[in-house]
Amino acid sequence: MTDTINNNTFSSDDWDNGPKEEFLKSENLAPSMTYWQDVGRRLRGNIPAMVSAAVIILLILAAVLGPSFSSHSYEDQELSFANIPPIINLYQITPGRYVYMHRNLRLIETTSGGDLIETVGMEKEDLFKKKMFYDIDGTRIILDYSQRPFKLTDVDGKPLETWKKTGPGGYLLGTDALGRDLFVRTLYGARISLLVALIATLANFLIGVIYGGIAGLAGGRTDNIMMRIVDIISTIPLTLYVILIMVVLDSGFLSIIIALGSVYWVNMARIVRGQILALKEQEFVLAARTIGTSTMRVLFQHLLPNSMGVIIVTATMLIPSAIFIESFLSFIGLGVSAPMASWGTLCSESLDSIRTFPYQLFTPALAICITMFAFNFLGDGLRDALDPKLRK
Amino acid sequence: MFKYILKRFVSMIITMFVIITITFLLMHSVPGGPFAAEKALPPEVEQALLEKYHLDDPLWKQYVDYVGGILRFDLGPSFKYRGLTVNELIVSGFPVSGRVGGLSILVILLIGIPLGIIAALKQNRWEDAVVRFLATLGITIPSFVLATLLLYVFSLKLDLLPSFGIESWKGYILPVVALSGYSISFVARLTRSSLLEVFRQDYMIMARAKGLSEFKILFKHGLKNALIPIVTVMGPLIAGLLTGSFVIEKIFALPGMGGHFVNGISNRDYTVIMGITVFYAGFLLIMVFIVDLIYGFLDPRIKLDNRS
Repeated sequence: MTDTINNNTFSSDDWDNGPKEEFLKSENLAPSMTYWQDVGRRLRGNIPAMVSAAVIILLILAAVLGPSFSSHSYEDQELSFANIPPIINLYQITPGRYVYMHRNLRLIETTSGGDLIETVGMEKEDLFKKKMFYDIDGTRIILDYSQRPFKLTDVDGKPLETWKKTGPGGYLLGTDALGRDLFVRTLYGARISLLVALIATLANFLIGVIYGGIAGLAGGRTDNIMMRIVDIISTIPLTLYVILIMVVLDSGFLSIIIALGSVYWVNMARIVRGQILALKEQEFVLAARTIGTSTMRVLFQHLLPNSMGVIIVTATMLIPSAIFIESFLSFIGLGVSAPMASWGTLCSESLDSIRTFPYQLFTPALAICITMFAFNFLGDGLRDALDPKLRK
Repeated sequence: MFKYILKRFVSMIITMFVIITITFLLMHSVPGGPFAAEKALPPEVEQALLEKYHLDDPLWKQYVDYVGGILRFDLGPSFKYRGLTVNELIVSGFPVSGRVGGLSILVILLIGIPLGIIAALKQNRWEDAVVRFLATLGITIPSFVLATLLLYVFSLKLDLLPSFGIESWKGYILPVVALSGYSISFVARLTRSSLLEVFRQDYMIMARAKGLSEFKILFKHGLKNALIPIVTVMGPLIAGLLTGSFVIEKIFALPGMGGHFVNGISNRDYTVIMGITVFYAGFLLIMVFIVDLIYGFLDPRIKLDNRS
């Protein structure tokens, strides 16, 4: 051994550890992982976060592809098929002729599978006895609305029996007050919400991150002025600003995007500034500066990549409130204008007929809640995965 | 301490001023002016209207007049409700909103904090899981969805509570629950995490080691310190209640300020939008200022007045 050293007879092979796998096995070590591999591993172990991520991916797929599978578009109106619930009771009149009794006192003829054909013409109506008479292929039936619940009877007043319960063909979740397909409209609402999420994230990254980064790095008076602006914007609820901007721009989807984009970055700017302030005193920044790295390069190559974890978590956490602001605005009548559908407008339209057709509220309400849930859990999961120290 | 108060006060005044200016400019940059939405008016009538409301003055003069009006607590006339002033709208609406909002704050603190304490004391037990589940639910359900669901279940299906108006005490229940749902969850979450943080501190071990009763440890040493973050979120909390009231008052048909604001928006009643925004901003800034003061008293570290 001593000889070898003295004679300086090392060849490059001597430095070779041999196959990496064997070494790992012999030392009983796990393969080394980069930071992001580690984050990925932790995130995969978090079941709620993974489920949420799957839900979000499904939602994106459904929003992008879903409407093209339906024969209806979000704006197709069919007034004679308005307010059809997702499950309808069919009555068999004669073999081959089926009707559905609408709560608005109409009979709609359907196929045996529940496909809506057309409104059945009434033969006569007795306004005193509150009865409507119909004649279908010679079979006479009576729609009795003298007392609730309304019922369909034969000529002797014997109630008809429900033949079967089924979904209205082509309308998976029923229709709204104008006979538009609620399923397609809900999916369309998902498009709007996801687009808003995308825009909010873009605004956060393009304005918030850079604004906060510059403020934090510049420090001193620049920082002071920039942060006072952020302070002023953030004292007043963002919703109020967005409302003011919407009043000026007139409601519409583009206005929502402009309004959100122009004020939605302030929280991100604050957080990034805080990160940069803490990071810029560290040695690696000094080292980079010593070798003459330009300020911009220090910011974009060294400081921002090192704060990426916090930035991603903040961006995810800010998405639900952006979706909320959009649906909130649409709900109070400031958001997307008809015939476009957003979850907010769907909810507010359903309010008019909530007594008789509550199903119109449930679909968009559920859609919002599931989406908010998914983004919140994903945000929580990302936070835990990116910085286990933050876990509480 | 005095310097801290003064600094907060000056920044409050500046913020208020900036907000008034922004609101004013935004409302005056609306294309078409306030009377454009109505059917084409004869030019003489329009001229008379413009003159009546001093809208034909140069912009700077209108601005000076407006700021002067605000200093005299005069927010001008409403364009759409002839004969009504913005002040009258606020005076009629604020007591309603104030009662609903005040009750909500009470409910938030009386339910949110105890829930958070229970969750923290029973960490990782079923009580904790229940509270955390409820809190996540509360944070993810938007106020307007919660309000409409409550309306459907309790007043339409079960017929227990009125669906609109506040003639009796029953009318307050649904609006207050819908308005405070989010914040209860938020406060419960915050109380839990802040209390858990405090439990890890050395002085808690010290208190235990001294043999203090659990009650004293929790309330005197634990809660007192854990509640400081709650005080700091009171400002944003009140802001949330304000904006939440827009939809709640619409859904439950309450004659409050949020309702006036939303109506003002859909009627394009610019003085009302401007006036109520300025009022909200002022109210909010004063609340944030008070919260800052309380925070300053509670947390002695802040007296060195170096916030950054």
